[in-house]
Amino acid sequence: MLTHAHAEPKSPSRVVVIGAGFVGNSIARAVERRGVPVLALKRADLDLLADNAAESLAKRLRADDSVVFVSAQAPARNAAQLIQNLKMAEVVAKTLAAQSVAHLVYISSDAVYADDANPVTERSSVQPASMHGMMHAARELMLRTEAKVPLAILRPSLLYGAADPHNGYGPNRFRRLAAKGETITLFGEGEEMRDHVLIDDVAEIAAATLAHRSTGVLNIATGVSTSFRRIAEMIVARAGRPVEIKGTPRQNPITHRHFDIADTLKAFPAFHFTPLAKGLELAETGA
Amino acid sequence: MTTVGFAGLTHLGLVSAVGTASKGFNVVGYDADLERVSSVLAGKLPVVEPDLDALFAANALRQTWSDRVEDLGRCDIVYIATDVPTDDRGRSDLSGIAALIDRVIPALKPSALLVVLCQVPPGFTRKLPLDADRLYYQVETLVFGRAVERATQPERFIVGCADPAKPLPDVYAALLGAFGCPILPMRYESAELAKIAINCCLVASVSVANTLAELSEGVGADWHEIVPALRLDRRIGAYSYLVPGLGIAGGNLERDLATVLRLSEQTGSEASVIASFLANSRHRRDWALRALHREVLAVKPDATLGVLGLAYKENTHSTKNSPSLELISHLKHLPLRLYDPVVPASAAGHPRVVGAKDALDAARGVDALLLLTPWPEFRKLAPAELARAMAGRVVIDPYRLLDPAQARAAGLNHHSLGAGPSC
Repeated sequence: MLTHAHAEPKSPSRVVVIGAGFVGNSIARAVERRGVPVLALKRADLDLLADNAAESLAKRLRADDSVVFVSAQAPARNAAQLIQNLKMAEVVAKTLAAQSVAHLVYISSDAVYADDANPVTERSSVQPASMHGMMHAARELMLRTEAKVPLAILRPSLLYGAADPHNGYGPNRFRRLAAKGETITLFGEGEEMRDHVLIDDVAEIAAATLAHRSTGVLNIATGVSTSFRRIAEMIVARAGRPVEIKGTPRQNPITHRHFDIADTLKAFPAFHFTPLAKGLELAETGA
Repeated sequence: MTTVGFAGLTHLGLVSAVGTASKGFNVVGYDADLERVSSVLAGKLPVVEPDLDALFAANALRQTWSDRVEDLGRCDIVYIATDVPTDDRGRSDLSGIAALIDRVIPALKPSALLVVLCQVPPGFTRKLPLDADRLYYQVETLVFGRAVERATQPERFIVGCADPAKPLPDVYAALLGAFGCPILPMRYESAELAKIAINCCLVASVSVANTLAELSEGVGADWHEIVPALRLDRRIGAYSYLVPGLGIAGGNLERDLATVLRLSEQTGSEASVIASFLANSRHRRDWALRALHREVLAVKPDATLGVLGLAYKENTHSTKNSPSLELISHLKHLPLRLYDPVVPASAAGHPRVVGAKDALDAARGVDALLLLTPWPEFRKLAPAELARAMAGRVVIDPYRLLDPAQARAAGLNHHSLGAGPSC
């Protein structure tokens, strides 16, 4: 649940985005659209794994900054990547322990929850089953205990959008395959249901969290889960050309994930998620 | 003639006092709040319950109301019937009841019995500073909206004693005997836990109903068709709590769950099912909020909404833990038209609210109508009339106060607990 320090939205003095990649850039744009100055730091601007990273970050921060920490080497698949990611978070936590800022928003992931947490809420047990989930859970804890600033943790579900650099199983890959007329291959028959959220919606929620200077935890999911097969069918229907959707022998048991998004409806009552059909259209046109 | 005192003119104290007077006993109702006492003396009862006003008037000669604790000095038995407030985590604040008992004990005549009638955790009564032969705990089973019936026709009395093997004092046995129901003496701690056990059983039933009602919504079943079948099963019972609701409404059940969790943690007993009841309740409480966003606000973000019902349940003025007010608190950006037969629209504390003069008036011109308290008068509303009054078609009616077939026939898009839109 989020608690708003500002009941009515108020522009932050400046927003610093640590990790101006796919997610970070979208957040930066959403904040800029609200007329707020943004300092978006790419890896070239600030390498959190460099020896002088803490010093370099500290130099760039002002006391009235609102910071969005999104930088990660994602997904963390092995122990080495896990440690690297934790080192990055250590720099941010250490810097913000020594130098206070107005607000910190950490972009985490729903991977922190147990696989069988259905429907997922912000009160579901944090019980990661993957290296990636454990990485986010550990980073959350580091920031919560060490950074002495008001902290909001946002845990998005699966993301999609035109600029997504990852080609993970789901809307992004399906869309690119369909565009080339190539076969979409499903795991099993694509029965698994997941909640896919458009990157623009994540950015809007992050911008609203900054504007309300909110603290606490919020999941970012639409509240509607859809099977991978259905998504493939929606994408093929839009492709305007024949694209084969092919099932494969199932390797793993079917799991589903649904979200109860009541906390989001309460935190941001006037916000509405982009329905999947509309979101796929936006992702396709790159709008 | 036995005189029975009630310390604390709360919902429980007032209804219990009037109920006891109706059995032919003299009663003294005491409360330190002069304003409350004056209101009762003037015949303006601070609680709304069916038949309470009539019973109060019919037994006026046997009732004394006072703000002087000394007036309890002529009572043979004094019940402690104050409210025990809870914090936002359902934990009881016992300081009020402790202070009241400290005030009452010195006022008692030497032979008088003291009976604790409010919800206290196991272990509370035994620690009170009074001779064990004069000290009892009695389980209350007040049901808001049915309090008079419960107070005058109880199913049984559960009495906590220092020594359950010893017979109850004659004066107490005679009082309880006047109600003509079984009396179950047991040790203090058992009686205190019995109250919690009753509520846990009710919560278990409601939680099963709520869990399977949600599943019904997803798989095309209608929970309302299933309930009669369950009621005919002797192991489940005709009176079991199977009607789905917006979580576990009201604070007293949550209080008992919180008590069980706390005591289980202290004693190391396994109680994860209790935590699950609470999680399910919290999830279902937001059913209407989710339905509203899904069916209305996702399409028309600036919708005007009509809300029928503010009280936490029918036949009461109480709004504590009201699902209606909880929902309204998350709709502050939208214009609302509100109506409740007892609670004024101002109770919503909403910046853009219009208090409607009746239910139909609340429906006038709204994009969607929500029926959030199952007041009997709402069941009489004609869907066709509502449809004519409303601008939009969506009716969110968790308790199914409107007949779904009639609502459909009137062109309404009707949503209730326990059934998907096709039912």
